[in-house]
Amino acid sequence: MTIATTSGGAQGGSALERGGGGGGGGTLADVVETVLDKGVVIDAQVSVAVVGIQLLEINARIVIASVETYLRFAEAVDRMSITPKNQKGLPDLVGDAAGAATKGKAISGLGKAAQEISGAVADSLSNRGTDEERERPRRRRDGERR
Amino acid sequence: MTDQAELGLFIYGIVPSDVEPTPDAAGVGDPPGEVEAVRQGDLAALVSEVGLEQPMGRPADLTAYQTLLDGTAAVAPVLPVRFGTVVTGPDAVQDLLSAHHDRFAEALDELEDTFQYTVHGRYDEQELISEILAENPDAAQLAEQVRGRPELESREARIRLGEIISQSVELRREAENKQLVDAVGGYARHTAPRQPSSELDAVNVAFLVGAADEDEFVAAVEEFAEQRRDLIRMRLLGPLAPYDFVSAHQLVE
Repeated sequence: MTIATTSGGAQGGSALERGGGGGGGGTLADVVETVLDKGVVIDAQVSVAVVGIQLLEINARIVIASVETYLRFAEAVDRMSITPKNQKGLPDLVGDAAGAATKGKAISGLGKAAQEISGAVADSLSNRGTDEERERPRRRRDGERR
Repeated sequence: MTDQAELGLFIYGIVPSDVEPTPDAAGVGDPPGEVEAVRQGDLAALVSEVGLEQPMGRPADLTAYQTLLDGTAAVAPVLPVRFGTVVTGPDAVQDLLSAHHDRFAEALDELEDTFQYTVHGRYDEQELISEILAENPDAAQLAEQVRGRPELESREARIRLGEIISQSVELRREAENKQLVDAVGGYARHTAPRQPSSELDAVNVAFLVGAADEDEFVAAVEEFAEQRRDLIRMRLLGPLAPYDFVSAHQLVE
């Protein structure tokens, strides 16, 4: 299985990173985001047998629209070079020729990446079940049922 | 923890009764609890003992919880129970299973041979801002006022610029999520949008995918990612237990 970490960029030419699944390969941030506040709620309203336990405070939520966010974006602009790369706003100076060249390049790059991707998928699907044997329940076969 | 410590049963999830935890399945707590199935008719709950005075929710606890549920989902349908649910003992688990038998059984039937996949994409900040400045003359003008000037002098312009960018990201995010669902939702049984987890979030959607459609679904996500490879860092998490596909209010009458 292809395991992605947050530290690396897109690996192996694929535009898609794989992670999680069987709890493997996911970062703590992934785990927190995946499981917190999800799942069937069984609370005291439903069953008096539910015991209140102390949960460590986990702050997974962030405030998205705030002055801090605005200032952070502005700072990012400030950090960027005066002429951002791929400047699409550049008036027609660049012209059609350059545009065509860029296009051609993108297409050939895409073909190559596509091949690598299909390899990565086959790999991750066929490996399932062999690398995740640990720590999971199995299902009894019919013969074992009673 | 002493032997006298008060114990409860931590519930991970609800499964068909033929699910059997493997002996090495590790639960929450320190040391990790032993995971067992408490059965009631054709249903069972995966549980482990926890000391009630021990605060719950260390990274290792969350990871153990997810590992167990994802591992279970790989072999059988499972209804995740919200992290931190602890009951007094096996009797309470059995009461719970019988009291809500029909609803649990029906939900497990629907989840048979399905997995959750979460598609999470983040914008590359530089690419994103370049695009926004390129398409928005007001933003480009503000950028000129801001660049190279101390924050104190240009604070007002900075806030206006940041606000334009922020609003623009929000619109793009909405469109991007819609395009994702349009492009790959056809290979999924259900779709559940998730809250963005950062201001650079581009897409964040959970999909419930049938086992037979998995390859096509993954291929479709890869194509979607490929089309945006410079702009969005796209990640596919899964196969997971169906965390986003059990109603939070399932048990509230």
